[in-house]
Amino acid sequence: MGTSYVYRRDASRLFIALRENGKRYKIYIPTDAKPVIDNEEQDINFIDHIDSQYYFNFNDKQFNCELVSRDQNKITIKVNGVEYKFSMESIFSYVRHGMIDKDAKQINANNIESPMPGKIVDIFLAEGDLVNEGEPILSLEAMKMQNEITATCNGVIQKIHVVAGQSVMKDELLVEVNAIDV
Amino acid sequence: MKKRLLIANRGEIAIRIIRSAHKLGITSVVLQSDKEPDALYLKYANEIIQAKDANDEKPIFLNATKIVDFALAHQIDLVHPGYGFLSENPDFAALCEESGINFIGPSPELIRNMGIKTIAKKMAIETGLPLVPGSEGAVVDAQVAKAFADKIGYPVILKASAGGGGRGMRIVEKPDAMERLFKSAYDEAVNAFGNGDIFIEKYLQNPKHLEFQILGDKHGNIIHLGERECSLQRKHQKVVEEAPSASITPEMRNQMGEMAVKFAKAIGYFSVGTIEYILDEDGSFYFMEMNTRIQVEHPVTEMVTHVDLVDWQIKVALGEELTLQQSDIQLNGWAIECRINTEDPQNRFSPQTGFIEKIHFPRGKGIRIETGVQNGSVVTPYFDSMISKIIVRADSREEVIEKTLKALNEFNLVGLKSTAPFCRLVLQDPDFVSAQYTTRWVDQKYTPEMLENDEEELIGALAATIIYAKEYLQIASNSTVYDDESLNMWVLNKRIN
Repeated sequence: MGTSYVYRRDASRLFIALRENGKRYKIYIPTDAKPVIDNEEQDINFIDHIDSQYYFNFNDKQFNCELVSRDQNKITIKVNGVEYKFSMESIFSYVRHGMIDKDAKQINANNIESPMPGKIVDIFLAEGDLVNEGEPILSLEAMKMQNEITATCNGVIQKIHVVAGQSVMKDELLVEVNAIDV
Repeated sequence: MKKRLLIANRGEIAIRIIRSAHKLGITSVVLQSDKEPDALYLKYANEIIQAKDANDEKPIFLNATKIVDFALAHQIDLVHPGYGFLSENPDFAALCEESGINFIGPSPELIRNMGIKTIAKKMAIETGLPLVPGSEGAVVDAQVAKAFADKIGYPVILKASAGGGGRGMRIVEKPDAMERLFKSAYDEAVNAFGNGDIFIEKYLQNPKHLEFQILGDKHGNIIHLGERECSLQRKHQKVVEEAPSASITPEMRNQMGEMAVKFAKAIGYFSVGTIEYILDEDGSFYFMEMNTRIQVEHPVTEMVTHVDLVDWQIKVALGEELTLQQSDIQLNGWAIECRINTEDPQNRFSPQTGFIEKIHFPRGKGIRIETGVQNGSVVTPYFDSMISKIIVRADSREEVIEKTLKALNEFNLVGLKSTAPFCRLVLQDPDFVSAQYTTRWVDQKYTPEMLENDEEELIGALAATIIYAKEYLQIASNSTVYDDESLNMWVLNKRIN
């Protein structure tokens, strides 16, 4: 997988912006790269910020943004003179709300169970971290072979049930992952 | 001694008039209203009269006697009324004349006659200008109106004889709606104008609004300076205008222009004026009315004819003879004007008042800005919401549309909403690009959702997220947000703290 992951570790930098018309943007704001919007790194350049005004360049066009109003998590932004209203959620609250009507099976499907008996060699992530689909979460040694156990979805590491050095049985629950491709 | 010109107006047009006055070596004097004491136009004038209208019933610009009193007290030679306010008020023009002040405009009698539509139309018929089929004069009641409509066919439109700006106007689609709509048009007309005369005419389904600019002196010379197309309107008021119009042929231009000149000559017109036509889909055109003032959209004509209309308006008032002949008027290129009104195009064009935090205008060759406001100006509820005009000229219609769009993209207004995004939408709409747009475009085609686009929405979502994240990250975790080094954040740099 290399380093081309869309999400870096910090789940607290992932947000959902929801418009009244139902359109939804999943926005990750890394500390050191361009923003990731709906799983794609966008070539958006930040130009300037003065008070409540934000200026961006995107697709060779300038976008003048102005904060119009802010009421709890409701934010109205004027972009080039046109207002857009968004309801903001952190990914944690969004997943929490989203899970209410999701059936349990689907949630369990994203949890990581041990495919074979073995020993946990190393755990690469911590609880609360973001993980990309296909990204290794931990390394499991079985029959003298080290196997990387990977995530089956983009998600947040909800809970890690094992520690390095621990032996596990087949089908033992190792890591709980909450999908964020909601 | 230098002549002294009092401008009985405010905003961008006051500044426009000041510019001409100074060019002609005339001292400019303006009125400072208490309703707008920090207005931008005050900075440009040679002299300011404090109107002290805080306790008056109406702002100074509507107070004819007070203006004339000020004019006399300040040795004013000429009064320019601008547009709106008292510009087409014959009593004001007459009062100026009686007081020995030169009113910049036609005679009070001409203003009066052109202001009463039934009279104007009668005069138009006499000079052979075609009229939309309709009643000759006011109809007395709904029954008569109904009988008339049955004859010319529905839909019909009811109009107040003294009306304007859409007031006292009703469209009647079916006979059974006549009684109700006649009554409401009548009531509105009586309330607004003190005159309940209603006339009725055929309602054109897809009309265009074309108007010819007239310029005449007091010596009987009159020319026209081509047309403007002002079909793009909301609430019967223009938002985007262009000159020339792509809807007529050169032959039609000559014919309509000559008829306008003929009419103006017949009524003995002088000063600037505008003959308004309504153009039907089949190319037939009808006289609508004559405006006896300088119009908001006069710059598009100036941009393509290189004739300064306000200069001439003043010179004509001073008795100068027109040195231009019809053959001197050549249309050169294409011009578009976008009116920047502080109105919310996402909410029925409701007026916005408040503080202009920042206003940035496009600059460049062929771009002309007329503005009555600047950074920090306050838009009050007392006056019109039109704060600025962006006028652009290029060699062809295609080029000027593109150039105007660029100019609008460069325009930035912080603090209030405006018609700028609406103008931007119009210029990209296939109906405008193909010049198929009519005065019904806003009613029939426009929805606020059209103002939105995916790129802006995406960027808006990002901006909202940044604003939200900034607070969220400070509260929810101990992670430093965008401050300091932690966020090189594709340079969401150290400005956020």
